[in-house]
Amino acid sequence: MTTLEIKNLSKHFGGLHVSNDISMSIKKGEIAAIIGPNGAGKTTLFNQITGYISPDNGKIFYKGEEITGSNPEKLVKTGIVRAFQVASLFYDETVYNNLHLAALSYHGKNWNFFSNRHASRDIEDHCRFILERLGLSKKAEVKAFELSHGDQKVLDIAIALTMKPTLLLLDEPTAGMSPDERVKMTRLIKAIHEEFELTTLFVEHDMDMVFGIADIIRVLVRGELIAEGNAADIQNNPAVIEAYLGYEVL
Amino acid sequence: MMKRYKDLVPWIIYFLVFGGMLFVRGGGHYVHLAMQIIILGLFATSFNVLFGKTGLLSFGQALFYGLGAYITGMAAKSFGPDYFMWALLAVPLVAIVVSILLGALSLRLSDVYFTMLTLAFAQLAWGITIKWYGLTRGDDGIQAIPKPALLTGNVNYYLFSFLVVTACIYFLWRLDRSPFGSVLEGIRQNSLRVTFTGMSVFRHQLLAYVISSSFTAIAGGLYAGIDGSIHPDMFYWTMSGSIILMTILGGMSGFFGPIIGVTIFVLLEDMVGRSTEYWSFVIGIIMLIMVMIFPHGIIGIATYFGKFFARKGGQVDNP
Repeated sequence: MTTLEIKNLSKHFGGLHVSNDISMSIKKGEIAAIIGPNGAGKTTLFNQITGYISPDNGKIFYKGEEITGSNPEKLVKTGIVRAFQVASLFYDETVYNNLHLAALSYHGKNWNFFSNRHASRDIEDHCRFILERLGLSKKAEVKAFELSHGDQKVLDIAIALTMKPTLLLLDEPTAGMSPDERVKMTRLIKAIHEEFELTTLFVEHDMDMVFGIADIIRVLVRGELIAEGNAADIQNNPAVIEAYLGYEVL
Repeated sequence: MMKRYKDLVPWIIYFLVFGGMLFVRGGGHYVHLAMQIIILGLFATSFNVLFGKTGLLSFGQALFYGLGAYITGMAAKSFGPDYFMWALLAVPLVAIVVSILLGALSLRLSDVYFTMLTLAFAQLAWGITIKWYGLTRGDDGIQAIPKPALLTGNVNYYLFSFLVVTACIYFLWRLDRSPFGSVLEGIRQNSLRVTFTGMSVFRHQLLAYVISSSFTAIAGGLYAGIDGSIHPDMFYWTMSGSIILMTILGGMSGFFGPIIGVTIFVLLEDMVGRSTEYWSFVIGIIMLIMVMIFPHGIIGIATYFGKFFARKGGQVDNP
């Protein structure tokens, strides 16, 4: 079954074609990686899938229904949730409150302006569950800005998970991390992918991680999808080596 | 348990100070001051829902203050004292309609453009009020606004205003602690993430704007009854500016900060105004010094000492 289907997606900013006739289909339950040099249009592709910007041409289907042009807040409610390259947090709030706000939205309490925000037991359980699974329980009362960089990235993903996604998009989950943290993050993504029965799409520069956990890898160069396949296919693909992997130590 | 008690402290102080005013004997002057304080306090508290809570700096909330005052004043003046109360009830309804329209327009813009547009709307309202003599009596304002017999006299009117303001402030206090309040804080800190947790930033901002503006209009309506005299300057940008100043002085991070700011400002104005005609100059200097020394407002000092003592006692504040 296909979770996400992208058909002939195009987007240009002035003369720059950031997405050039991209088509791909992402099956339910797969972990898919998108790789490509800087400026290849990976984040722009994410922004179009999540509804943050609209494509100029082409269509996007989610579980068989067209979602092209929907706004991000609606898409989040249908299960398309993203995490960010630079952790996007409520930095003055505690770790717990960061999840709490997402949980209020998930449980549809965000318009309630008269009850106590901490009154709901369901919401508390929901947050505690996510904290526990992501290993943040001990840091629940720490302010987000006081966390280490690695923990901030974990919290960023935790907020996304609180929205109970079907399709989780991760934009460079290991960006700026130490090798040690990268290994942990890779394991974490694999674990939540299985436990929460997600379809995961991630952008990444760390090749160990990409080849380690992705079922399928897609290579984007200058807005074009030049290759897709498993680790071996990609490593042996001449176009990929030419355009991108030639610079990397393989 | 400890937390519930801590929540009650500001309310106890509030009732002691403003309820106590009713028992000051022969203190007609102080009752009059207290009336101004609670009414401006409601204005500032409503304003802070936008400013301190949501992070939206509106420079045009005077529009709603003036609107409330003029609806009440014109209705009571034209139709008689009995309509004072009816007008006061209609004020928030009119404000809701007006604020939906203006909010939908101005919230499309962000940051300083939002601020400028709110200022422009308020100045426009001021201009109309000045020029449209037939309706508003222009620069003369509206004088001798009649009130129902029950509300006549300083003490009666203070009691009435105190009840209305307290009900409004209680509502805003609930909002402050509510899930909706939580979303507003989220918008202030990171509106992009609010969008990506499935909530419309615009619609939440609009509701905050409508609530804030409606309570501001109620404050304006109450003001029309203090001396029965209102003036187009209630719409003027200096009015919006004073509220911003008072809110910052008291501290925008705490719910009761704006009321503290208003109290200090009004009392200072009264004291300094009695001894020199250059009172605005003196107040300017005092404000400058206070904002420089206490950047987080009066509430900031209280928070600082609270933390200091908590640390000394070896206690950790554990929510």
